[in-house]
Amino acid sequence: MIKVTDVTKKFGNVVAVDSVTLNVKEGESVALLGANGAGKSTLIKCVLGLLDYKGKIEIQNRDIKENPKLSRSLVGYVPQDPLFYDMKTVDILHFFGSIRRVDDKRINSILSLVGLEDHGHKLSSELSGGMRQRLSFAVGLLSDPPILMLDEPTSNLDANARGDFLNLVKEHKNQGKTVLFSSHRLDEVYFLADRALFMKSGRVILDEKPQNLATSLGIKVKINLIIPEDSISKATSILNKEGFGGVSRNGSGLYVEVEEGKRVLLLEKLLQAHIPITDFAIQESSMETVIKYMEGNGY
Amino acid sequence: MDTKNVFLIMRKEAGESLRNRWFILYTLCFSALALLVLLFSTMGGEIAGYSGFGRTAASLINLVLLFVPLIALITGGISISQERENGTLPYLLSHPINKNEIFVGKFLGILITIWFSILLGFGLAGLGVAIRGGEGEISGYLLTVILSALLAACFLSIGFLVSVYSGKASKAIGISVFLWLLFIILGDLGIMGTTVAMDLGIKQVFVLALLNPSEVFKIASVLVLSPRFEILGPVGVYAVRTFGQQGVFYLLFSIMVLWALIPFGYAYLVFTRFRKEEK
Repeated sequence: MIKVTDVTKKFGNVVAVDSVTLNVKEGESVALLGANGAGKSTLIKCVLGLLDYKGKIEIQNRDIKENPKLSRSLVGYVPQDPLFYDMKTVDILHFFGSIRRVDDKRINSILSLVGLEDHGHKLSSELSGGMRQRLSFAVGLLSDPPILMLDEPTSNLDANARGDFLNLVKEHKNQGKTVLFSSHRLDEVYFLADRALFMKSGRVILDEKPQNLATSLGIKVKINLIIPEDSISKATSILNKEGFGGVSRNGSGLYVEVEEGKRVLLLEKLLQAHIPITDFAIQESSMETVIKYMEGNGY
Repeated sequence: MDTKNVFLIMRKEAGESLRNRWFILYTLCFSALALLVLLFSTMGGEIAGYSGFGRTAASLINLVLLFVPLIALITGGISISQERENGTLPYLLSHPINKNEIFVGKFLGILITIWFSILLGFGLAGLGVAIRGGEGEISGYLLTVILSALLAACFLSIGFLVSVYSGKASKAIGISVFLWLLFIILGDLGIMGTTVAMDLGIKQVFVLALLNPSEVFKIASVLVLSPRFEILGPVGVYAVRTFGQQGVFYLLFSIMVLWALIPFGYAYLVFTRFRKEEK
């Protein structure tokens, strides 16, 4: 569906995308992961034809430089910061719908699809961040394109809005759309992606399934255990005996670093030893943790 | 080029301009001043060979010279630069629409709204003359309207050229206002100063005048309104004796058309070919 072959993009002397080759198959959802400045957004903008580049990019086997309008008609793009003209929500949809040659019926139904049916009369400047993102997604869905490209679409959303938005994207992904998105949140990748491409300094350095990402990278989660003071010593020795490393004290219990798939095992071992666990919390690995790990291991 | 996309952009641009409070203010001011001009110009009888429509049109020339280039330069100047600055241009380009369609659509949309305000001002003034029983050739009045519309196109083109080179609307506005001062306020002074400093002949002064579209408009408007071209002075006499009255008019009209086309064409090339990316 999307074929990127040896694409390089420079801004002056800075190589933003460095000889990247990747394929996204039809119906696949691929995440571009990496720190800020890794080249994720630049790569997406190259695929959209917004930036000039060296190399070749094809969408449905057509070179996007030779067929720019046709290529863009196949893509629904959701930018990181949706920016609209100061028009009413429904007028914005009509405007972009007209460019995409979409009939009014579709435009009217799209508002309900993204949950903005009560906000059609509002100016774009009157919408909240979450609503603007949903409007952006609505615009992207107007012509029912086979491909969705999302550039850190939840970066400006709160937790509730993020969850709603991701569910919306997942629904369309499950309907068979091909999705290419960038993110610096691992939980989004786990939720949405079939494959994750890790980018650093403009290069793809890892191409892995999300469920194997943790194992490949040795990503661990931190579990915060609230345990009574008189049981901490016993709990520490049991965890060390069972091979759980990274055990340390915190004010009200213990921090333990656990590999993916061993969280329940940890709790089981403690409960079998009759250690009273008052409460626990899981701290997922952040992108920063992953990046630090990768840099520390020569990636 | 897909004309449907051009029309969509044109309609959006025209709609936005007509809803813009600064544009509404400009249109109202222009119309109000046109009516004031009508009031003063229809007092008394024929003056300097002008009557009724002719006198009103002659009075409106200075109003047009002040207002039309300013609004055309500023709206042209912010046309592309503002969309670049606020990020809507890359988002628009992520859809199946080309830069050439956006450029032409924006230009036509803004031009139409400026023409609307010119027509409104001249229309109200002309209606006033007719109601007050003013005399004179209406053809001269109508030709002045056409020349005013062409003047708008000239300066809108220059504004667009400023815009394609500007990354920020504020910079574009600054340059546009500077150009307005240069062409409109300093234009006459520049010609006079250069003439005296370099001891230029009549022919050279005429050519110098042609380098400023507002001067070309002024000369052409006076020519269409007055049977007595001596009003333009020795340069006017030289031009009419060299090219004939009709010939001079066609020459001046053609130069205004070139002033509209050349900056437009170059801005078009810069935006669509030379500048390949919009981040």
